[in-house]
Amino acid sequence: MRLLDPGMNLTLRPMRYPDFYEKYRAAIRNTWTVEEVDLHSDLPDLDKLGPAERHLVQRLVAFFATGDTIVANNLVLNLYRHINAPEARLYLSRQLFEEAVHVQFYLTLLDTYLPDPDERAKAFAAVEHIPSIRRKAEFCFRWIDSAMGLERLETRDDRRQFLLNLICFAACIEGLFFYGAFAYVYFLRSRGLLNGLASGTNWVFRDESAHMDFAFQVVETVRAEEPDLFDDELAEDVRRMLAEAVEAETAFAEDLLAGGVAGMTVADMRTYLQHVADRRLAQLGMAPMYGVANPFAFMELQDVQELANFFERRVSAYQVAVTGSVSFDEDF
Amino acid sequence: MTVMDSAIPRAQNRPVSTGSSAIVEADAAALPTAPEALLDAVRALAADLPDTDPARVVDRAVAGLHTGATAAELDALAVRTAAELIAQEPEYSRLAARLLARTIGAEVRSQGVGAFSEGIALGHAEGLIGDTTAAFVAAHAAELDAAVDSALAAGADRRFEYFGLRTVYDRYLLRHPVNRQVVETPQYFLLRVACGLSRTAEEAVGFYRLMSSLAYLPSSPTLFNSGTRHTQMSSCYLLDSPQDNLESIYDMYGRIARLSKFAGGIGVAWSRIRSRGALIRGTNGHSNGIVPWLNTLDASVQAVNQGGRRKGAACVYLEPWHPDILEFLELRDNTGEEARRTHNLNLANWIPDLFMRRVDADGVWSLFDPNEVPELPDLWGPEFDAVYEQAECDGRFVRQIPARELYARMMRTLAQTGNGWMTFKDAANRTCNQAAEPGNVVHLSNLCTEILEVTSDGETAVCNLGSVQLGAHVADGGMDWDKLRATVRTAVTFLDRVIDINYYPTGQAAASNPRWRPVGLGVMGLQDVFFSLGLPFDAPEARELSTRIAEEIYLTALETSCDLAAEAGPHPAYEETHAARGRLQPDLWDGVTPTQTKRWDALRDRVAAHGLRNSLLIAVAPTATIASIAGAYECIEPQVSNLFKRETLSGEFLQINTYLVRELKARGLWTAAVRDRIKRAEGSVQDIVELPEDVRRLYRTAWELPQRALIDLAAARSPYIDQSQSLNLFMADPTIGKLSSMYRYAWSTGLKTTYYLRSRPATRIQQATVAAAPAVADEEAIACSLENPEACEACQ
Repeated sequence: MRLLDPGMNLTLRPMRYPDFYEKYRAAIRNTWTVEEVDLHSDLPDLDKLGPAERHLVQRLVAFFATGDTIVANNLVLNLYRHINAPEARLYLSRQLFEEAVHVQFYLTLLDTYLPDPDERAKAFAAVEHIPSIRRKAEFCFRWIDSAMGLERLETRDDRRQFLLNLICFAACIEGLFFYGAFAYVYFLRSRGLLNGLASGTNWVFRDESAHMDFAFQVVETVRAEEPDLFDDELAEDVRRMLAEAVEAETAFAEDLLAGGVAGMTVADMRTYLQHVADRRLAQLGMAPMYGVANPFAFMELQDVQELANFFERRVSAYQVAVTGSVSFDEDF
Repeated sequence: MTVMDSAIPRAQNRPVSTGSSAIVEADAAALPTAPEALLDAVRALAADLPDTDPARVVDRAVAGLHTGATAAELDALAVRTAAELIAQEPEYSRLAARLLARTIGAEVRSQGVGAFSEGIALGHAEGLIGDTTAAFVAAHAAELDAAVDSALAAGADRRFEYFGLRTVYDRYLLRHPVNRQVVETPQYFLLRVACGLSRTAEEAVGFYRLMSSLAYLPSSPTLFNSGTRHTQMSSCYLLDSPQDNLESIYDMYGRIARLSKFAGGIGVAWSRIRSRGALIRGTNGHSNGIVPWLNTLDASVQAVNQGGRRKGAACVYLEPWHPDILEFLELRDNTGEEARRTHNLNLANWIPDLFMRRVDADGVWSLFDPNEVPELPDLWGPEFDAVYEQAECDGRFVRQIPARELYARMMRTLAQTGNGWMTFKDAANRTCNQAAEPGNVVHLSNLCTEILEVTSDGETAVCNLGSVQLGAHVADGGMDWDKLRATVRTAVTFLDRVIDINYYPTGQAAASNPRWRPVGLGVMGLQDVFFSLGLPFDAPEARELSTRIAEEIYLTALETSCDLAAEAGPHPAYEETHAARGRLQPDLWDGVTPTQTKRWDALRDRVAAHGLRNSLLIAVAPTATIASIAGAYECIEPQVSNLFKRETLSGEFLQINTYLVRELKARGLWTAAVRDRIKRAEGSVQDIVELPEDVRRLYRTAWELPQRALIDLAAARSPYIDQSQSLNLFMADPTIGKLSSMYRYAWSTGLKTTYYLRSRPATRIQQATVAAAPAVADEEAIACSLENPEACEACQ
């Protein structure tokens, strides 16, 4: 029995993929809620922004408004259906919950940032009206549709088609579109702006990292089980898909940065996206396409441990579930 | 005052075309901001920083510009660009700081301020500076202005690291009330603080020099407010629990709001308020318990913004016999009904020894409504035990639970929220100089668990703080004890001075502080000392040195306080203290023998003759912000990581262990590859096998050190800490078992208080900038090479 074999496996013991179960448990320990995010200091910051930066923030928020919903839809419509192991479906259920929290977070953010109901409605309609966001959405929908017709993964072609969908959502959408969006947030954060947005985004970022990890783990598992699926043609398809995603996200950057924002240029953003795309290829065991270094020093900040001064911000580093019972002879 | 007219053209708005130097010089005071001129400036500032590359900074800054960018944007970008290179080369921290100092200087000059005294005059005219300080400065203008010049000539501004100066600029420098530009430079700021506390120019200059050398800094409220119109300079306010009625509770909200407004941190007990289900006679209804009150307190504290500089903050203390204790422990959970949560309040357990003994013995624990047994908050030690056990015998409890069940819940809260600090009521009272007479009771600690002072309905305890930067007192492979003594003497003198000048926002605070005159002298940079001297935290020599430092500081502080008493008399409540009975802090501990016996003997004679000016002298505060300014590691803490990010209201900042970098450079190991390895290991160097074992031992992080060592160090210095210490404990992956062992041990050593439990997130962010983790097969090869560097063939 292989992971992508059609059916509805219900057997948790013996467990075939304990790693998936561990990922599920780690995710539970990491629970956060929107109520914990403190957006109060963002409002005065918004007033401080110049027109170019304000445009950036508005566009960004408009993207966030719908991004996670799209991911959640694909999860339900495609991933949950075909990844046939109950422990993997446990993880996906948890992921679905997390996507819901993200949607709620960005909804709360929009309600806070945009007090005018018309503006809010416009932000949610961005997928329809704003070309740079529409282009990204179309990319997503195309890939959702590409797997929607698959009732059961019977043939090699079905499985390849499904794998591409999985890889697209992990590498291009969560792994590239979101990483692009996070970069803007952290850019603002590095200048001390919009701490509330950044602290919520920190938690979203952490979740998205885990989702991507899980998806790549699924890819690796399939690779081990059905190595012949991974041929040059698949690699070529993945590259083409990533290249297209980089272009779509760069076009988004041209829109966001249209007003000129000191410290962030479209050229740097493109390089950053190419760097991220290469990382995704490396994670998939494929050769890099661009061979460029990360130009954004403020993104390096996201890679190291945080130490918040508690007077100022809530520390996002605590765990939710702890186990064990009272004892007096353990090491510490 | 006309120079402040906002109609004056500001440098900020002039456009600069990138790639050329075509900038219109509108006024002579403006910066030369063209890229070429910027390069010259950067070169000059980097002259003694050989590992920096000025051209790289300027090129990158210019590349980040867009068309139509202003001159100010280029300057700001140059500062940020230099700061972004810190991870690659720590010297860029100094360069970024100097660039920032340059722009600050220009901003101050653009207000028409060219000297310290001019800044004070402007600040006074704008209603920022108090009359007394303005008059003092006007009377001594020449001498004070000269002091700044000579400090600058001696490199005062060059001592700052970027994060420190950025913090000073964003948060501490006084700003013009209308145009929001800063009206003081970093040096003016420190001299303003000194002048606010001085009687003579000589005194002011001496105190300024000490602060300017970054060897000592007062705490933030003093830095914020000294010399201003609102001289609230105390850090901590401790309020006993409100009485169990509406008027008292609402009065408490108002008091806390007033204390918060001027940057004080709040500790408040809540043990006297009746629990959920208790009868309300007035309405014949039942109480909803403490949670709704604390929810309101949470909202109230949040609403008070400390002058825009930081949010209000408070910690609530509850004793574990209160029937609402379990709900209290859930106040910061992130699930459940929002009305029963307080996301911003800090929580602390105020624990009697009896509870810990019951936990030890796996006994039952009884929960009493404070209405039923109202004496408990005011009792400690054997008297508490007697009343508690009698009430238990009489069956007056609301209910009983296994003591270990409650203890496990406390541990769970610590692991999940870092909050629910364990502080020990009996140890706190047993060793408190103020608690020598019955009725003088310590009811709680403060927001950071380092202050222990008596409180009552009529007295709110107050403490103003300052910290010695120990790292600045290392010389020739050891401590410079003479310098340390000199620093402590100056520090205590000016901490004491605050008491008389301080503005007290409530009557209860004004009633307490002049009577007891407590101060809290603490330390920062213990880790700097240990790095400088090559001592790992768990080495016996480290413990010995840290204890010796604590003794030296306490002894010198007592000597100074005794000198002050000889001049001005002992503090009014002196007769109520242990000191008046000949008992100093080490005497309140079993089996402690100080090392400097002669000095102690001499001191005891003098105290007997003159008394002490201050009832309490030592408190080791967390020093988060002032340690940043001083560029030191926080208080008595080990480093959290060799490479970490500090998040504050000013933005995110990379901090790197410069001692380690020096070591790596000396070994030719400061390469991009090694940096990536440290980053991937989240700041640990334990896997850098090229480093000898003893070096790796020295550079362990707080997560890698045995926590027993931190507790032992804290316990060993406790007999010289007459208040307490903010002791954080670290456990990456906590379990109830590990935590219960650790906190039981902490209690058994006699520690008075502990602070946060720091743990790490269960899942992590994918690193975006380190080379992607190698595929699965390669990981085995790495593991193999790390464990087995010589023998592994696969890695050759």
